[in-house]
Order: sequence, then structure tokens, then C-alpha cells
Amino acid sequence: MKPAWSWQFEAGRLAPATPLPLPSPITADWAWGGSRGAGVRVAVVDSGIDAAHPAVGAVAGGVALHYDPDAPDQVRAVDGPHEDLFGHGTACAGIIRSLAPEAELYSVRVLGARLTGKGMVFAAGLRWAIANRMQVVNLSLSTGKRDYFAVFHELVDQAYFARVMLVCAVNNVSGPTYPSQYASVFSVAANEATDPYRFDYNPAPPVEFGAPGIDIEVPWLGGSTIRATGNSFAAPHIAGLVARILGQHPDLTPFQVKTILLSLASNAAPPGGPDGDRHLLLR
Amino acid sequence: MPDRAEPLLEQVAALAADLGPALAPVGQLELLRSITSAARELFAAAACSLALLDEAQETLTFHVASGAGAEAVVGQRVPVDRGIAGWVVSSGQPVAVADVARDPRFAAEVAEATGYVPRSVLAMPLQTERELLGVIELLDQRADAPAGRRDMELLGLFAGQAALAIETSRVFSSLGQALFQAVGAAAGGDRDLASALDELARRSPGPTAELAELAAVFARLGQAGAAERAAATRLVREFLAYAGGNGRPA
Repeated sequence: MKPAWSWQFEAGRLAPATPLPLPSPITADWAWGGSRGAGVRVAVVDSGIDAAHPAVGAVAGGVALHYDPDAPDQVRAVDGPHEDLFGHGTACAGIIRSLAPEAELYSVRVLGARLTGKGMVFAAGLRWAIANRMQVVNLSLSTGKRDYFAVFHELVDQAYFARVMLVCAVNNVSGPTYPSQYASVFSVAANEATDPYRFDYNPAPPVEFGAPGIDIEVPWLGGSTIRATGNSFAAPHIAGLVARILGQHPDLTPFQVKTILLSLASNAAPPGGPDGDRHLLLR
Repeated sequence: MPDRAEPLLEQVAALAADLGPALAPVGQLELLRSITSAARELFAAAACSLALLDEAQETLTFHVASGAGAEAVVGQRVPVDRGIAGWVVSSGQPVAVADVARDPRFAAEVAEATGYVPRSVLAMPLQTERELLGVIELLDQRADAPAGRRDMELLGLFAGQAALAIETSRVFSSLGQALFQAVGAAAGGDRDLASALDELARRSPGPTAELAELAAVFARLGQAGAAERAAATRLVREFLAYAGGNGRPA
């Protein structure tokens, strides 16, 4: 069982990615070696996070957003703790935590009891994350509605200029989906890896990164874990790594972080010779 | 738009709405049944089911199912803020879970509703670029079946077909609104006319159930042979004459 777009990351299909020919190559040690993601603010825009799940640990804060036709901008925000409705937000938080154990996790709940106004609520969640100076935002959800093209485009540009890294799971529908479609986000599909540190860079986007998301064990509701598959579990792997990189290098821009990730991707083939698995040398 | 045209247009819309189902190429339910049973075969799954969002966008209702537990599943309603189907339709992302029984709440709720707890679920949103419609689910793909190289993508294609079919069939059943929206879009530059037609589209009725059903019956007759059609026409004429004559034979 493989999610769509994953075929691009199958062995033998993925073309080599060419990193910058720097005098001394970027290494995992330099990129994130000493970091546990301490102090990096990471938002999970999803179904909520179960802070009591042992794989999650503390949740630093968050907001639950609901569609409300009487509220300003038709979205009502409730600050503070909330439960995870489905388990999915907890799964994403757990994956991020496993890679960046000291990151500050924030839950931005945008899913709820009805789907009316869903796109507006989702956009409001992203707006909240930018306004509250999140550094990494995991978005394992998307909308295919063309009506939202401009709304998300504007938000994604704002995030880019504010150095907010948006990590987006790509969808598998035939048309474009937002915000994973835009060039400045970190778009992610599942690759075949089981090693959480093994990720790929796709030199022929729109999908730029491949990360584990096929049949992996993730935290779920009520302290449980399940084995699940989906691009939505691949995105938090990249979000976790980005948090670790920012823990070590707090002021990077999105394009600098992408450069680092490309250099450390499993299919990176520096001009100096095959050295593809350097990322495995150091955790 | 001249005022006197409005009542006439409203009558046209009402008629179009009532007769729309007769014009639909195939019954929606038949189409969805064929999609779910084909998907179940292709993916070697124990069951395949399809749920659609209600108008308030708060509940998913299972309309068709094929395979294990199918009878119990059809008609089941689940809120959109619970479970795997709820997450999929809320997030717009497909997901596969290999061991759903380990989600204690999900397992209990499903068992209670259907008496059948699957081991695995693959759920995919049904959506077009215009709207979100529901979710299609495959339960218990056979473990010994060769793992499809692009299972999710293939099911995505099925989901795309199903979504377009549902959307098309809804156009037929709300033909009155669709008419005004189409003419309104064509009016383009003339904002007054376009907004007048928009307003009419909002006010125009959906089909009345009885007449829509009758229209659907006629649609099926249209697919029957010439002799059957002639016989049916005679019967209907006789009935009308009988009804028109206050119960007395013509």
C-alpha cells in the first residue's frame, strides 16, 4: 500500500539531486548534530494534540478554531488546551517529538463538528501560526477547492517572508491542492524508508521531499499506537528535522533550510563522488 | 430582467428540477454500486463502502457498500468529527490504518454500529475542485494479495470518478438551479442580469420527490424496447382518462 506520489521516491526512480559544490560539504553533524530542537516553536495544524500521550509530552499552547458565521471573519478562536478529535494531530506531534524532543509543540485545531467554512478555518489556523511566530508549521491537510487558491497563496508568501517553514503533506487527487502546491512550502510525500532520518529530495517537483509514511507506527488516541500509511505521516518527519536544524541555526530562511535538506537527502550525489548515506552517520 | 418574465422562469425551473432525474444518464446509486464493487474486486478487499456528506456538512451517511457487513453499513451515519472516515473527509487526505482495532474508541463504535470490526481500513476523500462530497473506504484488503504498487493512487482514480458521477447526478436533480447558474455565468459582463439569475438560482426549488421519481421511471422506460414503451404510454393515457373522468371509465 503506497500513497500517491510515493512512486517518485522508489528505488531506481529517483534521480540524483545535486547539492551546492561547497568547499566543505554540509554534514548532518553541522546541520543538526548538537540539536534536540530546544526552543523551536512548532505548530501542528490538525485535529488537536493529546498532551497526555506518552509519545507527545508537553504541549506548550495552542488554539481551537471553529466556523461561526457571527464571529469576525466567520472564525471563532478558543485559546488553551483541547482534546484531539481523531488521533491524527497526536500522531504528527509524536513523530515531530521523536526527532526534535525539546521542540515547543503548539496545537492549532482546525477540524471540528462540521465542514462548513472548513477552508476559512484552515486559513485562520495558518494565519494564527504566522501571527504567533511559529517557526515550523506542520500541515498534514489540504483543500482542493480552487476558491482558496488566492487566500492560501497570500498566506504562504507571508509565511515565507516571516521565515515560517510550512511543511505540507501532498494530496493524491489529480488536481492541485493548497497549500502543498506552492513552491515556497516544503511539500512531502511518503517514501519507502523505515529509518526516520532517511529522506529524499525530488529534483522533479512539485513534490519536493520524500520521508517515511508507509506502514509506520504512530501515536493515536487514548495512549494507543497504530500502524498507518499516508503522506500526512511523512510531513511531520520533515517538520521534525527542520525543527532540529533551526535548534542549531535559529535564523535560517526557508530557502537555506531547503538547501541543507537537499545536501543531506539520501539521493544527494555531490560532484566529489557517491556519498549518499552520509545522513545515516550521525543521529 | 422584466418582472413578468420571472414567474415564467420560475415555472421553467420547477419543471426542469422535476424532470431532471429523467435526463440523468444512469442512476446515481447504480453507478456508485458499480464503483464500490469494482474497487472491492480490484483491491481484493473484504468490503468497500461509500459515504456522502449531508447538507449541513456535519454527518457522513453510508449510501452503498459491497462485501462483508454491507447490509449493516448502508444507512449508517457518522459525525464528521470522529473516526477515520471523519478525519479523511475533514483533512482532504487519504489514510490507511493497518490495525484499526488498536484505536479503542473507533473499534467500539464500529462494532456497535455494524457488528463487524475490520482489521484494516483505507479511506480516500471524494472531492472535485468544486466541492467535497464524502469518502470511499476499503476494508481488510487480503494480506496475501500482491501489494499494489500505487494502491492509494488507483483508489484515488476511483474516488475521482465517483466524485464526478455524484456531482453530475446532482446537477440533474437540481436542474432548475443549474440552468440559472449556467445562464448567469453566460451573462458574464451584464452584472444586473447575472445577479438576477443568481438570485433565481437561490430561490428555485429542488425536485418534488414524487414527480422526480415519476421522471426517473420514465427515464427507465426510455431504455426499454419500443413495444414496452408503447404499452406503457397506453396504460398511462388510460389512467389519466380514468382519473380525469372522476373514476368513471372513459
